[in-house]
Parts: sequence; structure tokens; C-alpha cells
Amino acid sequence: MSISLAVSDVLIARAKSGDLEALEALYRAFETPVYNLARRILRSPEDAEDVLQETFLEVVRSIGSFRGEGHLWGWIRQIAASKALMRIRRRQVRNEETFDEEFAGASAQPSVPIRVDLERALEKLTETSRAVVWLHDVEGYTHEEIAEMMGKTASFSKSQLARAHGKLRRMLGEERTAE
Amino acid sequence: MMHCTLEDLLALRDNEGSSWAREHLDGCDVCRAELDAMYQRVARLKALPPLSPPRSRWPAIRNQVLATQARRRQRWMASGMAAAALLAGVLVLRPHQVTPAYAQELAQAKRQSASLEAELQSLDPDSRVESGRAAAMAAALEDQIAAVDAQLSGLEGGQPGIGQAAVDLWRDRVNLMQQLVDVHATNAAYVGL
Repeated sequence: MSISLAVSDVLIARAKSGDLEALEALYRAFETPVYNLARRILRSPEDAEDVLQETFLEVVRSIGSFRGEGHLWGWIRQIAASKALMRIRRRQVRNEETFDEEFAGASAQPSVPIRVDLERALEKLTETSRAVVWLHDVEGYTHEEIAEMMGKTASFSKSQLARAHGKLRRMLGEERTAE
Repeated sequence: MMHCTLEDLLALRDNEGSSWAREHLDGCDVCRAELDAMYQRVARLKALPPLSPPRSRWPAIRNQVLATQARRRQRWMASGMAAAALLAGVLVLRPHQVTPAYAQELAQAKRQSASLEAELQSLDPDSRVESGRAAAMAAALEDQIAAVDAQLSGLEGGQPGIGQAAVDLWRDRVNLMQQLVDVHATNAAYVGL
């Protein structure tokens, strides 16, 4: 994904002063990357939209504390990722996270490969696996950073990533040709 | 022949692989192909087209920002009014200017208003996602409350009939505050918080 996320210091300063036009300009600049991040992690488009809204409400509340160290997108992305992961944790507490669709009903023929495109394969992972694979492999977070945001260990993040790649490999029909 | 596991390959990719895995990879075409496939898979993930939100959430965000600003103004005004009323009571107002009957009703309306303010704060609407409709309703109610507050602050102590006017305004305020609490409480129940 390549979107220009450059934002002028003047715009940030105006947003810090509570200027609604500047805040809207920030929203317009970052709505797609924030939604994309949330949607890649969460199964439901509605949840991703809620994360988009929660993220920008947090941006409005906290932009005064943004000191300009690093890119604004890095700061906003951190908020969005935390909000999305918070939803997953809430669901886990309520035991609502769904199992991988890939394995739902697949116990009768566990070794039959299912060939689907990457977009669909990603959709079929659990939200936890999606979160780890997206944050680590696409957004470039380390396992330690992911573990901290998820309230888990780095080992958990690593094993989730391996599981996710195993499932993606199988769904994409990329199984090893020899063992 | 024993091959690298996915964990081994992921660790190699992140420059954290074991010496055994590194040595094995040098001599194993299968594992090199597997690692290459992993790189390609990640490259394809990065190349997925960005997903855009189906509709703009800015109107709802804007409404909540405006509502928050109005609430802050309103709290500031309420605290200012309380201080002004206290000062007026000490310096200007005399007991006979508010009849005992009005005074009782006035005190009751003020107590109800304060109780609803506390209830509203406990709902913490600033930190919650609201639907655009709920945010718009809340913003409209807050505007009306601010208008009532402005009228209350404009009441002058020496005017005849001020007692009844103040009671009526405070009752209006209680009514509007109750509606505002209902809007936020309904939203809180809807989102399950």
C-alpha cells in the first residue's frame, strides 16, 4: 500500500489548537490507512469503522501531546492498532472470537488443501492471527511491540505468526513439495 | 531429512535463526524454496490494495467534538454561575426577593440538575463512540442547555418576579438534562458498555 501520508507542521499546529478544519484535513489524510489497518485486523467492517471513529476521537483529544518526534502516521497508527487489538481482547474475554473458518468442519479431511486468493485467505484467519501477521509482516512492528499491545508474550506473537503462515500457505496451495 | 519448521524460517527471515537452521538452509533446496515463498507471500500481502471506509465518519466525529466543546463551556459556565450566585446572595439578594415557596422549588430544581450532571459524568460520553444521530441529538440538547444557562446568568436580582422566572428556567434545565442523560444512557446500553 503506498499512500502519501505527509502532513505539514502548520496543519498539525492548527489541529493542536482545536481548529476543526485542520482536524478534518487530518481525518481525510488518514481515514483510509486507519480503516485499512483496522479492517485487515478485524473481521467486521462495522467494527473497523468504529475503530476509525474511536481513533480520530482519540487523535482530537490527544494531539496536544504529539511532540512531533517521528511521523504523525506512526503515532496515529499506534492508536488505531491499540483500539483494534482492544476489541479483540474484549471479545476474547467474552469468548466471542471465532475459530478459523479454514478449519471449521475440516476435521474429516484435514489434509485437503483449499486454494483461495490471498485476500480471502487472510479473511479466514482468526482476528488474533490476522493482527499478528499484519502488524509484523506489513506494518513492521516487532514481536515485542505486538506482545506489549496485546498483553501477551513475544513467544505468543511468534507462534501466532507461524500458525498464520502455515494456514495461509495451506489455503494458497503452497504446501511443501517434499519433506 | 529434517527440514526447517515455519518458526525456523520466520526466525531466519528476522535474522534470528539458529546456526543449525542457517547451515541447513545453505544445503536444502526445499527450505530455500519455502523461505522464498514466504518472502513472496509477504510481498503480496504488502501489495494488497488499501480498503477504504464505506462512508465518512467525520460528521459523527465532528458532532462529538462540538458536543465535547459545548459541554466544557457549559461546565465552565455552570461553575461560574454558581460562584456568581453565591456572591449575589451575599452582596445583593435579600431573602424577601425569593418567596419561601419559590425558594423551595428552586432548591429542588437545582438539586435535580446537579444530580443529573453527576449521572451524565458517570456515563462519560466523551470517551464513547456514538452514532451520528445520537451525537447530533446530544449536541442539540447541549445547545438548548447552554441557552438556558445564558438566560439564568442574565437574571438580575432586583427584577420583580425573578423567583418564578428562575424556577421555570431551572425546571427547563432539569428537563433538558434528563433528555441528554437518556440519549447517552441509551447509547451506552446499545454499545454494551
